[in-house]
Amino acid sequence: MPIVELVAVTKAYESKVAVSNLSLQIDAGQMFGLLGPNGAGKTSSIRMMMGITIPDSGAIRLFDKPFERKILERVGYLPEERGLYKKMKVLEQLVFFGELHGLEAGEARKRAVDWTKRLEIDDVLAKKTEELSKGMQQKIQFISSLLHDPGLIVMDEPFSGLDPVNATLLERTLIELKEQGKAILFSTHRMDQVEKLCDSICLIDKGRAVLAGKVREIKASYERNRVIVEFEGSASFLNSEEIAEAKNYSGHAEIRLKEHGNAQRLLHEAAAVATIYRFELVEPSLEEIFIQTVGGKADA
Amino acid sequence: MRSMFLIARREYLEQVRGRAFRMTTLGLPLVFAIIIGVFYLASMGLGSGKHLAVASDNAALANDIRTRLLSDKSAKAIVDVISPATPADRDALLARVRTRDLDGLLWIDSPQGVVPEATYYSQSSGDFIGIARFNDALNSSLVSVHLTAAGMSQPDAEAVVKGVTLKTFQVKKDGQIVKSSAQASFWKGYAMAILLSMTTMIYGMNVARSIIQEKTSRIFEVMLATAEPGDLLAGKLIGVGAVGLTQIGIWLIAGAAILGSALAAPILSGEYAIHFSPIEVILFPVYFVLGYLLYSALFAGLAATCETEQELQMYMPLAAAPTWLSFSLIVLIINDSNSVWSVAASLFPPTAPIIMFLRMASEIPPAWQFAVSIALMLLSIWGVLWFSSRLYRVGILMYGKRATLPELLRWLRYS
Repeated sequence: MPIVELVAVTKAYESKVAVSNLSLQIDAGQMFGLLGPNGAGKTSSIRMMMGITIPDSGAIRLFDKPFERKILERVGYLPEERGLYKKMKVLEQLVFFGELHGLEAGEARKRAVDWTKRLEIDDVLAKKTEELSKGMQQKIQFISSLLHDPGLIVMDEPFSGLDPVNATLLERTLIELKEQGKAILFSTHRMDQVEKLCDSICLIDKGRAVLAGKVREIKASYERNRVIVEFEGSASFLNSEEIAEAKNYSGHAEIRLKEHGNAQRLLHEAAAVATIYRFELVEPSLEEIFIQTVGGKADA
Repeated sequence: MRSMFLIARREYLEQVRGRAFRMTTLGLPLVFAIIIGVFYLASMGLGSGKHLAVASDNAALANDIRTRLLSDKSAKAIVDVISPATPADRDALLARVRTRDLDGLLWIDSPQGVVPEATYYSQSSGDFIGIARFNDALNSSLVSVHLTAAGMSQPDAEAVVKGVTLKTFQVKKDGQIVKSSAQASFWKGYAMAILLSMTTMIYGMNVARSIIQEKTSRIFEVMLATAEPGDLLAGKLIGVGAVGLTQIGIWLIAGAAILGSALAAPILSGEYAIHFSPIEVILFPVYFVLGYLLYSALFAGLAATCETEQELQMYMPLAAAPTWLSFSLIVLIINDSNSVWSVAASLFPPTAPIIMFLRMASEIPPAWQFAVSIALMLLSIWGVLWFSSRLYRVGILMYGKRATLPELLRWLRYS
């Protein structure tokens, strides 16, 4: 059963088309990355999924039903524009958001305590939100979007502003939630995280989906034309006819082959002049695919 | 509905627990009491403690004026009499006024068989209470001197001059007759109107400020994923309005406790008798709720179009204009609280709450006028809410730029 289904969704503001004919599907137990340069239409798409704005045309289905506000009780949302009530105490705040998502106050309180322990911030429950650091506030907001045990988790740039330790903690939590069968959609500029976490992606540019599918399949569909060589000896093989571009970092070379360049021939040429410790034909990274697809305009 | 209730409860608890609530609940009545006290003490001292001179050819008249001025204990004046007075005396006395040796000079020309002419000289022209005292003493003395000169005995002449003091009673609709003071009634109505306008504006502003704060803290995005914009706005209006009602409730209970105490007995039965009718006690919260809803709905719409509190404050004088208009009509109401203009102003929704209380100070208007004014207010609240909720729906998600008029019209179309 698809948890999220967008069918030919379009949204325009005045003369600007924010999202054009966008279709995508996210299944239970899937981590989905929504990618694109700034202003591509990611946040507009997410806002429509969350019922904050209404599409001009197309259909949005959540949990295999046409969108209705009641369904939002099963959705956890962490928007890019973070916001908490600064004067409220952390526990009161979490209970308030839990209640808004349909939980009883007592249950919301219990879950808030459990989650803050899990994310190692249970000592801040009695503090006012304004007394917390930005990173801690982000963790509180992360918890508030998960407190009601949603089946769909939507996170817009969830790791921005977090230090590596906390980013890893949140990554681990998201992986656990995915393993529990939750559908997770997140939008980010961090391609390394997408590569590490996401099963599928949809890359949008100027409101249109320009690349979509499983990460593995997308990467496999690109020609393996990059070679990593670790060697000792002469570097003269880097002038080979097979190479379009090469960077040599004292015995570690990163090479891009010509369009029909032959890796096997290059290996022979290299072995003739140097001792080869590693010769690996690698796929392009998602970042390279991203830049290549959106024409180098991305600021990721 | 549940979301609306939760949002209202959060808003209510946050404000009621805040220091500002405690400060205004205690502070506003205290400030009022201090203002009234200072005004009373200052008015007691006005025009008193002056060194004056009365100069006239008519010694009897000048001395009579002196006696009358000295008999006014609150005046505490020193009065010199110069009689007979020559033009040279006048120049010398004016020189003393110039050097502030004298605070004032009353020069009276009273040739035989001609109506006397009196002139008052002083360096200050603003002492209207002192001038009024002079005028009273001069007129009383002229009448008294003339009557005694015509053969009337001094006590009879004094009785004529003294006149009678009018006692005022108010006949209530239920037939009850209670002692009243027009002045006290006016001040009561005025104080209630000020309190009403202040609370309405303060809580209307609170709604606006709360929207701006939520807009700048970007919390709307999270809230909109859980509640509809209409619930958000309604929850906010109900929550903040309930805070205002709580405050008024505290004031009413405290007021009733004070009025029921022995301390209030002189106020209720003395010269400045004040009576609160049940209808005033009931209508105060009713007009607060209506006035608050009207203004806060308007402020909410305005706040949704603004980026900062400073920007919002630029609109405030415009939004507060009906309140100023209400108080500018005060003379009209005192003059005739049942004139066409008074009735029209008390039915016009933006001015209705304040004008109604000013009118009630003189006389309780007929029930149909309350009914029409409340109905018109409800209708206009609905209209303003319709307009504001549309601006709110779009405005709360618009960051980073000030909305122009064409943009506002587009927002109305979007929603």
